[in-house]
Amino acid sequence: MAPLAPAGSASSDYFEEDDPAFLQALCEVKLPGDLSSSQAPSEPKHEQQLLPPPQSGLKRSRESDSDDEEDNPRARHSVLASVDDNEEKARYLQNHTYGASTFGNFGEYMTRKRAKLQIQNAEFDDGEGVDADGPPPSRIFHGLQIYINGYTTPSVQELRKLIVQHGGIFHAYLDKKSIVTHILTCSLTPAKSKEFQYMKVVRPEWLVESVNAGVLLPWQTYIFKVADRLEQTQGKRVAQRTLFDSTYDLDQRPKTPPAGRSQDSDIANVSSLSSHLSQLARPQTPTPPKSGPSSTPSTPDRTLYTTDPATPKEAKRVPGYAVHKSNPHARRAMQDPAWRAAHTSVAPDFIEGYYRNSRLHHLSTWKAELKNLVAEAQERADSGATLGGTGGDGAVVGVTGGTEEDLAVTKIMKENMGADAVSMRNAQLVMRSPSRKGKEKAERAVEVHNDETRIIMHCDFDSFFVSAGLVDRPHLKDKPVVVCHSQGTQGGQASTSEIASASYEARKFGIKSGMSLQQARKLCPQVITIPYEFQRYKQFSLQFYTILMTHADDLQAVSVDEALIDVTGSVRRIHTEISQSQNLSASPIDPAKQFAEAIRSQVRRATGCEVSIGIAHNIMLARVASRRAKPAGSFHILPADAQSILAPLDIDDLHGFGYAARQKAQEKLGATNLGELAQKSKVVLCDALGKGTGETLFKAIRGIDERKLESDKPRKSVSCDINYGIRFENNEQAETFIYQLAEEVARRLQGIDMVGRALVLKIMKRDPSAPVEAPKFMGHGLCETCTKQIQLVASGGRATNDYKVIGEHAWRLLKSFNFDPTELRGIGVQVHKLEKSGGTEIDQGQAVLPFKPVEVTKVQPKTDQAKPPVKQVHPPQINIEPPSSPVDAVDAVALREPSELQGQVPALDLPSFSQVDRSVFDALPEEIRKELESEYKRRSITPDPPPASPAKRVRFPSLKPTDVFPKVKISVKGTNVKRITQQLAPRSRSSISPKKTTLFRKREVPFKVTISEAEVKKLGFDTEVFAMLPKTIQREQVANARFKKSGKIGVTFGGPRRVLKPISRLLPRTRPKYVPPPPPQANFPAPPTLKQQAKAKGQKLYFSETDDVQKVIETWVHSFLEHPPNSKDVAFFAKYLVQCVDNARSTDSGLERAIAVTKWWLVLLRRHFGVWENADDLDMGELKRGGQWTSEGIGRAWWSAFRDVKGQMDAAARRKFGGCLSLR
Amino acid sequence: MDPDTPLSFNQTVRGITEFIEVATHTILYVRQVYPAEIFVRRKKYNTPVFQSRHPALNEYISGAVKAVADELMLVHGNVHKVVVVIKNNEDVALERFIFAMQNMIQVEAYNKETGYATFDASEHLIHSSTYSVEDAMTASVLGQYFRSFLIKLSMVESQLGQLGLGDDLSFAIVIELKDDKMPTVTHGKDPPPWIPATLDNTTTGTSEQAELHMLRAVDTGIINLSFAVQESEFKLNMEKSSTASSSGKGKERAV
Repeated sequence: MAPLAPAGSASSDYFEEDDPAFLQALCEVKLPGDLSSSQAPSEPKHEQQLLPPPQSGLKRSRESDSDDEEDNPRARHSVLASVDDNEEKARYLQNHTYGASTFGNFGEYMTRKRAKLQIQNAEFDDGEGVDADGPPPSRIFHGLQIYINGYTTPSVQELRKLIVQHGGIFHAYLDKKSIVTHILTCSLTPAKSKEFQYMKVVRPEWLVESVNAGVLLPWQTYIFKVADRLEQTQGKRVAQRTLFDSTYDLDQRPKTPPAGRSQDSDIANVSSLSSHLSQLARPQTPTPPKSGPSSTPSTPDRTLYTTDPATPKEAKRVPGYAVHKSNPHARRAMQDPAWRAAHTSVAPDFIEGYYRNSRLHHLSTWKAELKNLVAEAQERADSGATLGGTGGDGAVVGVTGGTEEDLAVTKIMKENMGADAVSMRNAQLVMRSPSRKGKEKAERAVEVHNDETRIIMHCDFDSFFVSAGLVDRPHLKDKPVVVCHSQGTQGGQASTSEIASASYEARKFGIKSGMSLQQARKLCPQVITIPYEFQRYKQFSLQFYTILMTHADDLQAVSVDEALIDVTGSVRRIHTEISQSQNLSASPIDPAKQFAEAIRSQVRRATGCEVSIGIAHNIMLARVASRRAKPAGSFHILPADAQSILAPLDIDDLHGFGYAARQKAQEKLGATNLGELAQKSKVVLCDALGKGTGETLFKAIRGIDERKLESDKPRKSVSCDINYGIRFENNEQAETFIYQLAEEVARRLQGIDMVGRALVLKIMKRDPSAPVEAPKFMGHGLCETCTKQIQLVASGGRATNDYKVIGEHAWRLLKSFNFDPTELRGIGVQVHKLEKSGGTEIDQGQAVLPFKPVEVTKVQPKTDQAKPPVKQVHPPQINIEPPSSPVDAVDAVALREPSELQGQVPALDLPSFSQVDRSVFDALPEEIRKELESEYKRRSITPDPPPASPAKRVRFPSLKPTDVFPKVKISVKGTNVKRITQQLAPRSRSSISPKKTTLFRKREVPFKVTISEAEVKKLGFDTEVFAMLPKTIQREQVANARFKKSGKIGVTFGGPRRVLKPISRLLPRTRPKYVPPPPPQANFPAPPTLKQQAKAKGQKLYFSETDDVQKVIETWVHSFLEHPPNSKDVAFFAKYLVQCVDNARSTDSGLERAIAVTKWWLVLLRRHFGVWENADDLDMGELKRGGQWTSEGIGRAWWSAFRDVKGQMDAAARRKFGGCLSLR
Repeated sequence: MDPDTPLSFNQTVRGITEFIEVATHTILYVRQVYPAEIFVRRKKYNTPVFQSRHPALNEYISGAVKAVADELMLVHGNVHKVVVVIKNNEDVALERFIFAMQNMIQVEAYNKETGYATFDASEHLIHSSTYSVEDAMTASVLGQYFRSFLIKLSMVESQLGQLGLGDDLSFAIVIELKDDKMPTVTHGKDPPPWIPATLDNTTTGTSEQAELHMLRAVDTGIINLSFAVQESEFKLNMEKSSTASSSGKGKERAV
């Protein structure tokens, strides 16, 4: 074909003018003459097709490819095939495919276009495949028909090439969706993503990586996912993204200062930058914080102080928190893989470190510990033991000052302390102290909740962390001090470290806990930071609680620095003390407040920290009071004052009502002030805030709180949440982490000796609008939170605290979310439905049959032969001991050690390879398949010895003289077989106790004994038959025969079986079958019937249906048209009707029927005697005339009969309904 | 739940109370206790019914019916009747729509619910069944009965005539228990839902002249229900006096 090339090249349109090769060809080549010149203009394309100089071929392909991008051809295999064929067909193509399309013949045009494209594809295929020359062209994409949608990287051309070169078919058009197997795309419009929703839409990387790997990778891993939510217009989002990107750059550049710079200038620079940044950042935030207040001017949003809000709502309330600002440090740090491996959730000891440093974790753990302590102490008190070791600090309690009240308080304090108590009181104390708590508790339970004589104190440290930290930093007193992780200038001005506690001096500057250090510095540049001192907090907290414990009747641990105590008893005793010692016109000083002050000073002495105490008669008011009491004071809300104190407060000043409640109140009720809300009715409050909250608020406003102190609230759940530093790169990391988390949860469960039945997985996933790195360093940023729950089932349906089970469940849940692991920002595992783990000795639920696990024999490479076979657990015990004596030595068979043999005996043999169903085999998972394959391979090399070996030694299970039964490993895992076996046990005691039964276990054959054929014969068996027998039976028979031979009658081998067999038949009977109670039976009392003599003698007709009875009545009336009704008949009908009406004898449908019948009777009477219905008795005419009844007489008789019956019916009906029946 | 298996006890109670609720709405519409505008037409038991749209009214009705249901469920057999009393503004009963109930069987608590299954130790299903009452009416049949109840109810005007009292009507829901029984159900600290009824509104207070129209009755075999309307003597007298004044009307009806 090469020499033809110049002929085709006559059309200069298809070559660039300055193509040197072309020009050269033009010059050098001798033109063939008229023929080609005449053809050339008409079929230029074809010519070109026939002559492929390398460059020109490429060029052309590129040209036509550019067409492909927009419009595409369909697969045309016929055409395609024809291209490869002989020249004659090619000539045909000249005329057809490459012929000019006539105007208006679009269909033809398209057909040709497609055909041409496929021709080009085919060219790719063989052209370049041959070019490569080395390996044969791979066909990994064989069978794939791919359509490429939109712009892709790599470009469509490259992809097309890839597809075609590797045996796939590329489609430029999608007009036949059923042909196309996959769609490649990098982006989809919403309409298209909907259109393609049932198709396999894949990212182009699939092909690229498949080619690189040399195999077709599973397309599922490359599924194209629509990046954004579809509702949004996508363009806008993209635009925003890029905007951020530019700010990232801005962030980053100055944040990496030149090394030489002094710190001051650095900070200055940074701060100026940060202000600059905040200006920059503001316009980008889609929800500028300003918009909130402007829409509801009356309620400025309460600012929220946290460094890492999770919802946009919260984020809106955090001042200076730019939702969409990425943390530059984090971004930088995350780029370093080493740092990443060491500091994010990927790090192996991440969880441990996290909990070591998490303040919240410490606090919650202590709280749990304290609660336990409280519960224990209470238990001790209830059981009569005195509180030991209280008041260990030995601080002398006393309020200086000589008033009687003070003395009384001191006295009681001392009594409570139990140490150095005034001797006089001792007797009383002893009497009171042990049973006090239990009794009073019981009393309280009965008492009306709103008992105004109760005294509840809310004791709360004043800025606990700070004041604890100041104890040995006296020089920092009266200075603005905060406690946070970040120390000194560490973290710089931009520290996102959260402030845990701020001193009162710092609070004056507006610093609040929850703020970031950065914000605090803005408010007060000279703020001093001190570190956490968890040990000290713990110590103080314990002291605090110890003191409270001594004085309280009841105590609720709220948190480490906060507790609610019930001191009703102590205060009451102070009262009596005062009234005893003093005249009754006691001074108006409040003993409760005195007592509180005493407690305060005691705590101060013990810890050096100030405590504030709020006193009231219920919890809610006590909390309000402690707010008033702060700092360093006490406050008593008397029941009478409650309303007036509450009135000016705001709804969120009440404990338990927060921002959300406040918003709702503002929106729906137009007020947040308690005084105003007090005007609203309960219904209104409930409508606005929901039933529970509304009711609580309604009561709270009125100073009512029915909650009791919860000193012994049982633990409901155990959880472990981490939402800091969660940055995974792939699913493996996430899985590992989940398991670590599960381990932590399991440890905690074990710590409190609990097992759980349900598991909740909480996932925080980066909000699509949030930046990859949250504004808080390594924080979670804006997130979508998802939770899922699953039943936690260990084997046997038990509750569990096994980390493996927990991890498995949690991971399964996480997988079911199908989240991108890189998007995860927080993971929490919570186990609830807790139970004491000790109590579950007897297994609940379904027993598990402990099938022997399949031991897959591993092929050992030859080099490993020296290695001993995998050691099997030696069968541990013989459970069944036959009463047999040693067997003849003659019979002794070659015994082998069980352990030796076990390794060789595959538990489950494979069928021969020819028997394997090929299709099933192919459907097996790859691993298993490989394993089987290798196993078969091994066998084909070393064929198994046939069971009956040429040595005429038959393999038999051995029977050791001492154990008739083979050794059986009875380790029934996790299930209490005893329970079941006891039920299954035979009633009569057999000599062999099947106590530990082997029922549930496939009998192992731990001993393989080869028994010589001679012995088989000797024992009296036909060797051939014997060989055919199943192993178990062989064993039985041999044993049996040996027993017989040894002259012992003992147990025949059938013995145990005979015992067991009936059991299996008895099984249904012995099983504790739950016989359901018989279902209730409907009761349809037989309706009253109208009996009549039938025509046939002895038969009676019963009429109960309305129609029938009506017919009877009709016949009756008709037969008595000429006579007055017979009184017997009347009575007969009356009896029936009354029965129907009478509720005691009939249902209401009887009444219905009676009325229908009576109505019909009435109709009949009206029809025949209508005139007489309302006839007055006064103008009664002749009733009888000459022995004949007049019609009047008959009529009147009928009517009176009717009225009589109706009267009887009314009387009956009246008993149930009152009044009388209407026949209208 | 298969509508063709026999009813269980609780199903029956639920069915009856639901019907009472539906019927109450329709009564209020049919008897024009409230203006027709506040009702919407709906389909229930395959028949058009009218339901009030007034939330407070709906709440009252559903609350009362709920209380009825509680009485029926917990101490079944005590409730004898549920009566919707239409009364004038002086609290005098004009019409009493009576739902009379009769407990036919005693059902143990464990038998009331709708279904159960029995398993053996290894959780194989041995037996599964419902606590259907054997031979009792099926749900679908009961629904058809209720349909006929409602159709009768919607045509009751032809028997009772129009009340024509305009705004002076009101209604009450009354339960009548067996003698010497008290309503038992209280919810926590809420006051018990029931208060003693005006004697006039009760069966005992009904005069002998009151007329009872039995609309329909159904025997479910568990709780038999009948539905009747009783015109009080007061109403009948009122009508008589009005027919006396405007002659002819009463006669037409008497035919």
